[in-house]
Amino acid sequence: MSAVSRIPQYTAQWTRPVLQIAKYTLHEAVRRRFMNVILLFGIVVIASSSMFAAWAPGAELKMIVDTGLGAIRIFGLLMAVFLGAILIPTEIEKKTIHVLLAKPVSRMQFLLGKFLGAYLTVLLNIVLMGLAFLAVMYLKRSAFAGEKAMAFLYPNLAAALVLMMFELLVLTGIAITVSTIASWVFTAVFSFFVYFAAQLRTTLGHLAEPGHYDNPISQGILSVLHVVLPHFEDFDVRQKIIGGEPVLANYVGMCILGALLYTGILLLLGYFVFHEREV
Amino acid sequence: MASAIRTRGLTKIYRGVVGPAVEALVDLNLDVREGTIFGLVGPNGSGKTTTLKLLLGLIFPTRGSMQALGDEVGSARYRSRVGFLPDGPYFYDHLNADELLHFYGGIFGLRGAELRRRVDELLELVDMAAPDRRRRRVREYSKGMIQRIGVAQAMINDPDLVYFDEPTSGLDPQGSLQMREIILRLRRQGKTVFLCSHLLAEVERICDDVTILNEGHTVRQGSLAELLEGEGLFSVEARQVDEACLAQVRDLAQSVQATDGSVEVVVADEPRALRIADLIRQSGGKVTVIGKRRRSLEDVFIESIEEAQ
Amino acid sequence: MKRSLRNKLLVWLLIIGGLLLSNPLQEAITRERQLRRYNEPTPIAKILEFEPVAITGVIAGMMLGGFRGTAANLMWMKLDEYWHSEKWHDCLYIMRTVTLLDPHFIEAWKTTSWHLMYNMTVETQDESEKQKYLQEGIDVLKEGISWNPEQYDLYVELGWDYFDKMDDYDQAARWFGYALQFEHPDYVERLLAHGYERLPDIEKALDWYDYCLKRYPFDNTAIGATVTIRERYLEAWRLLQAGSYQQARDLILDHLATDPTGSIGIRLLATIYEREARATRDPAAARRLKGQALREWENLARTYALDSYARRKVLALKQELGLKETPEELERRLAQERRQSMIEREKTGLYGAHEHQPTAPGQ
Repeated sequence: MSAVSRIPQYTAQWTRPVLQIAKYTLHEAVRRRFMNVILLFGIVVIASSSMFAAWAPGAELKMIVDTGLGAIRIFGLLMAVFLGAILIPTEIEKKTIHVLLAKPVSRMQFLLGKFLGAYLTVLLNIVLMGLAFLAVMYLKRSAFAGEKAMAFLYPNLAAALVLMMFELLVLTGIAITVSTIASWVFTAVFSFFVYFAAQLRTTLGHLAEPGHYDNPISQGILSVLHVVLPHFEDFDVRQKIIGGEPVLANYVGMCILGALLYTGILLLLGYFVFHEREV
Repeated sequence: MASAIRTRGLTKIYRGVVGPAVEALVDLNLDVREGTIFGLVGPNGSGKTTTLKLLLGLIFPTRGSMQALGDEVGSARYRSRVGFLPDGPYFYDHLNADELLHFYGGIFGLRGAELRRRVDELLELVDMAAPDRRRRRVREYSKGMIQRIGVAQAMINDPDLVYFDEPTSGLDPQGSLQMREIILRLRRQGKTVFLCSHLLAEVERICDDVTILNEGHTVRQGSLAELLEGEGLFSVEARQVDEACLAQVRDLAQSVQATDGSVEVVVADEPRALRIADLIRQSGGKVTVIGKRRRSLEDVFIESIEEAQ
Repeated sequence: MKRSLRNKLLVWLLIIGGLLLSNPLQEAITRERQLRRYNEPTPIAKILEFEPVAITGVIAGMMLGGFRGTAANLMWMKLDEYWHSEKWHDCLYIMRTVTLLDPHFIEAWKTTSWHLMYNMTVETQDESEKQKYLQEGIDVLKEGISWNPEQYDLYVELGWDYFDKMDDYDQAARWFGYALQFEHPDYVERLLAHGYERLPDIEKALDWYDYCLKRYPFDNTAIGATVTIRERYLEAWRLLQAGSYQQARDLILDHLATDPTGSIGIRLLATIYEREARATRDPAAARRLKGQALREWENLARTYALDSYARRKVLALKQELGLKETPEELERRLAQERRQSMIEREKTGLYGAHEHQPTAPGQ
């Protein structure tokens, strides 16, 4: 059998521990109390958005969309950051990692397995909250008949949810990567910081352009931040939803690809650090 | 006999940002023969766990070389042939024994009926096969049960080399006996066992070779038989020895331990031993033991540590 | 060791490859966002336009990213509490904060402007303060448009505010016209036509009513307006454009004889007098014609209590003619005249008659 024909076999062999770790990470994560509490609150907020909407006549649809997507985003953010932050440090602290790494599991397989397990957990919760949100939209559909947003509402909401899933992919990647070298507290705080700082990414880019700052160091720092910070604003298509214009499939595809690339680079950097780390 | 583990000049120095460097292990040279039980002993902080972690690829040496099972230490192939039971092990406490072993077994590529059979065998071996035990979550286990399940996971892949760190820790006498039997069984099967333990009596019972560490340095190593040999010393034990006689005995002996008329005397050769026995009898005392001195590992251990200090 | 080095090299190659790939991809995404107008980033220049206090709100809004909508909504809900407590100034602060947090919240811009122009102006008796609020309402909508240049709503809102509160029909028509570039409901064309009616620019008003009818053949308002304007005013308008002032006047007066309160007719008549006054070289004639125009505007102001445009014309012409009357005095006089007129109507049963009687055919 030639080397090329053995590639599927090697791939299956290599991914087996990754999937095994991912499966058991998911198994453990969905049982964590804080995850279930977050999910519960998320669904409660989404369900109550129709009530809030009554306080904003003329903007009911906007209110429900903003509240629903906002709730999914914030609770998803909490899950991604906290789960991503605690998994690896806990393994190291509790020394369960010793038993695992004494087995034929490479650092990369361990890292990928933990990342995948964390992300699948987040994804599952996003799907559940997303279903709750779509249910609310469906139940309130008669109130929005004739609104501009109704033209492409359901496909746009589906696109927004898919984009959110990949936004959280990047965030989970950030949390997991940082957790390979830092405590879970630092990782969580850092991840939140990155998330909110990244919202200013484009503005930082403008400020980095010549003419705003005389100090080359400041310009340099801003330029680096502009390049390095993730493009979270790309995943926000709220305006299209409210405006009733379609979110195009090619745009969603490009954002997904961008998220996969960025997360891949993050995990490679994480592996690079984790490979040298003594446990 | 071929070496299962071979280290040369293995050294681990921890250098922090502030403070002096810590020499956790210095120039360790090991030759662990295949199919034997090797014991690594030493006081706390002597470098035993450091050695284990180095041999498992969990930490990296500052200098020196290691080889095990003919493979590079830390390689996937090597780790597929080893098992490891850490000291005070932690496992995923949301799983039960069945799930835990299935998890670890899955990592080795075991699946389906083969994995189930292996899990059943191991649970039987470590006395965890009863339904109430195997289905209970790890977080509800006693220390002894965790140790047992730890042994089971260490053997899930039928390893050629097994590392045990304080294997009888937390076990009752029956459990300790079962553990010893498991280890001896492994040797009978031709496996190599690398054992770290504080319990010198346990090490003395089962190990073939021993290395004693102190503050990262090797102070004594060799086969157990060699280490415990008395170096030609003789000992005399007696009762009802009076003070006058005791004074005479002290002049002839290498060491004397006396408590309420009972004495234990160590002398350099047989003639002196006989002379001391005569003196005791003449003074009205009763000689209970006279013969070649056999030392315990504890004696060797203490002696080695004292010499090193 | 060699293997470890090889792995490290591979990892770095993958990282570099990833970075090289991500750059053109990101450029493509950014181009798509700009082209299709997905959420636009806050331009730095816009931030610098704001007052220092407002910058905090803008930056907070930007940092919230996808949550800014939710944050704005929560503040909007808070507004309800202040509204029911009649804390109008606090309401204004909240509305303004919401527009800073979420500049694409159209309803917030509309409500803020409405609150300024319709509520806050009523809360004060000070004329200069009223004007200040009116201007602020206009400025708020213009700012909203700068953030949302492709939303018809704000253009229409601004046009309506010029039409209804500022009586600036030229501006009203202009902003209604901008709204037509974007997808918009059918009434926008009618509003535009209505604005031209008020200017008055009869031909343009008719053009837009005709356009309405082409799009919506069963639009009764457009049908009625078209018929009325065509029958009554089109010819007079054309005569006015041609400079035949007397003939234009006579036509209008004929119609006013049967419909003395027709605002378009009165407006057109006043406009004819004013244009004739501007065209004549005889100062005495000009003065007389301006006096006639003044009378018509007074008539309009008396008949339509909310027609502030007519009031402004009255005051402007009085000033030109050297007649002194303050806005308060004018209001009192008009109110008195209106009461008098109502009393006479009750006595006679007539709504009122224009002093001119229609010209019979052949006369």
